[in-house]
Amino acid sequence: MKKEFTPRITSFLCKWCTYTGADLAGTARLQYPTSIIPIQVMCSSRVDPVFLIKAFLSGSDGVLIGGCHPGDCHYETGNYHARRRFAIVKSVFESLGLESQRLKLSWISASEGPKFARVANEYTEEIMELGENPTRKNIFL
Amino acid sequence: MKEFEMREAGQDKNLRAKVGVYICECGPNIAGKVDLDKIIADLSQLDDYQDVELVVKKYGFLCSGPGKEFLEEEIRSNGYTHLVVGACSPRDHDSTFMGVCKKTDLNPYLYRIINIREHCTWVIDDKEKATEKAFSYIRGGISRVLRQSELFEKPLDINPDVLVIGGGIAGMEAALSLSGEDRRVFLVEKTDHLGGISLDLSGLLPGQGEIIKNKIDSVTEDKNIRLFLNTSVETVIGFLGNFEIELVSIENAETTDIMAGAIVVATGSSLFDPGESAHLSYSESDEVYTSLSVEKMFSGEGEARLRSGKKPSSVALIHCVGREEKNYCSGICCSYMMKLAGFFRNQSPDIQVTEFYRDLCLPQKDDQERYTEAEAAGVEFVRIKDISIKGTEVSFEKMNSKKSEQSFDMVVLAPAIVPSADTEELADLLTVPLDESGFFQEVHKMTNPVGTSTDGVFIVGTAHGPKGVSDSMQFARASAGQILTRLIPGEKLIPEVKVTEILEAYCTGCGNCLDVCVYGAIYSDDSRGISVVNEAVCRGCGNCYGSCPSGALRTKHFTNTQLYREVDEALR
Repeated sequence: MKKEFTPRITSFLCKWCTYTGADLAGTARLQYPTSIIPIQVMCSSRVDPVFLIKAFLSGSDGVLIGGCHPGDCHYETGNYHARRRFAIVKSVFESLGLESQRLKLSWISASEGPKFARVANEYTEEIMELGENPTRKNIFL
Repeated sequence: MKEFEMREAGQDKNLRAKVGVYICECGPNIAGKVDLDKIIADLSQLDDYQDVELVVKKYGFLCSGPGKEFLEEEIRSNGYTHLVVGACSPRDHDSTFMGVCKKTDLNPYLYRIINIREHCTWVIDDKEKATEKAFSYIRGGISRVLRQSELFEKPLDINPDVLVIGGGIAGMEAALSLSGEDRRVFLVEKTDHLGGISLDLSGLLPGQGEIIKNKIDSVTEDKNIRLFLNTSVETVIGFLGNFEIELVSIENAETTDIMAGAIVVATGSSLFDPGESAHLSYSESDEVYTSLSVEKMFSGEGEARLRSGKKPSSVALIHCVGREEKNYCSGICCSYMMKLAGFFRNQSPDIQVTEFYRDLCLPQKDDQERYTEAEAAGVEFVRIKDISIKGTEVSFEKMNSKKSEQSFDMVVLAPAIVPSADTEELADLLTVPLDESGFFQEVHKMTNPVGTSTDGVFIVGTAHGPKGVSDSMQFARASAGQILTRLIPGEKLIPEVKVTEILEAYCTGCGNCLDVCVYGAIYSDDSRGISVVNEAVCRGCGNCYGSCPSGALRTKHFTNTQLYREVDEALR
């Protein structure tokens, strides 16, 4: 029997908001797929553009960045920087003809457990429709 | 483990790593949701790493007293070089297990907690899938912990003294709350007297004059408060626990250097200039006053008279002056305008008082009562869309678009509270950002309204935003509370350990990182042509990393190697 495709979504979660939001989803026993691979970072701005590319080339089917809502960053402006850097990588992906839907940025606060679960579920479904990350098969670097 | 990886992890290549992996059952929360024995068996058989010995065990509740003792004993007797704990969220027990490590020889930064409860067992009901995820999650943790390096806390000596800028009611309150045998306060005031705006206000509380006078006396007599009148702050450098400040006398430009551990900003505010209002054709007229000048009349003479010496028989009280221009409500004007209405009625019971407002804001405890009383006593409240004043002629448009005109003996304006003139300059000096309205920006409006992004600098009173006397004093006490708990005489301060460092060999000195750092933790070393991190100020967010074009930065405990290993391991 063919094994069902479980996407792997590398998720860089900011320590103060989204990681805590994910904790809250756990506390509330909300269900979401095993696809989410949480990686804690201090701030979404720590996510260097190279991280996204690295995670993608290492075979992530999707890459998620979770940060605080605009104006709510623990470090004041970190998420604005994260947003700009994310936009750049996204446009690089588009220029290279890569599926930019495999990158996602989401603002999830520490109190938004349900939102975290929702984003995890929806994004997993979206990635399942896209299928496996093609770089897993074709090594092009 | 490969040789170069050992070196990267900062370990002697001859040292054999021994990793202790402890999984907390957390009652049924973890043990009931995954097959722990399978995870332990699978982890024990891992042969990913040469020269790494894995010991995998489980325990009922690791965070319990016996659990911590068990863990401590295990670390001691097994001589682990690294420790991984599979348990709950780091928010719950990271510090607990770091504390256990600190009791042993194991550096707490060679330990890692893996959140298999919140991020795995609680969100995945399928036991098989949860087991699989927990396994790969812990495996990733082992891989990461092997790349972690020892970090050491560097306790800093602190200076418990405090600089308070501004000698108004908030500044005095902060100074009095802070001064003590082992803590001096430097109180800097730019005018030649203490008290600030509170001296001009009237009828705040019974015996108010005495209370404020007593406060001024207490400040003046306090041996531990050093008062600098007619003085302003010239330069500030440093960080929490160690600020170096230069004060300059406004009279003779003489400078004084002082050292303090914290700074309280209580520079107050000023009033919106009604002449700037586009919605109010205001021209200075003999009988048009701002609320503050009427407050002065009542607090000085005890009554408000026209310039002719007569008492007014009709008064227009105009709220919300400058609110539309400034785009915020000052929150206290409604309350003091109703107070003034009461004073006017007291001095001439037959007086006609009309209050023109756009919105009423009654946030204080007794505001509603005051409003009901005023209305019952015949004070007229008129909600308006638009208003203009020529002399004492008031033309206004009501909410139903009806336009009217009325003439009064006296017109009193309640201008918005705006930042005081030197706010921007001071903000620059202290590297504290300003908010949209130009007041000092707090860390968080709910959880820490007195703190700022520069740790050690606190904002109190109306320097933070419009507020009344009692709130100003509460803010002052709140800041004192934070300072008293953090700067304890004789104790040291432990700054953030997980900070960023810049590798000199790679840095080109472009200065990108300086621009993104909101804490001013990076400075440029011109002699070496590089940027340098002040570790005492850095909070370790890692924003600078993303801005560095040459990869010269390293965020301790969140290095690229560590994060990459975590990603790679999870994707294996």
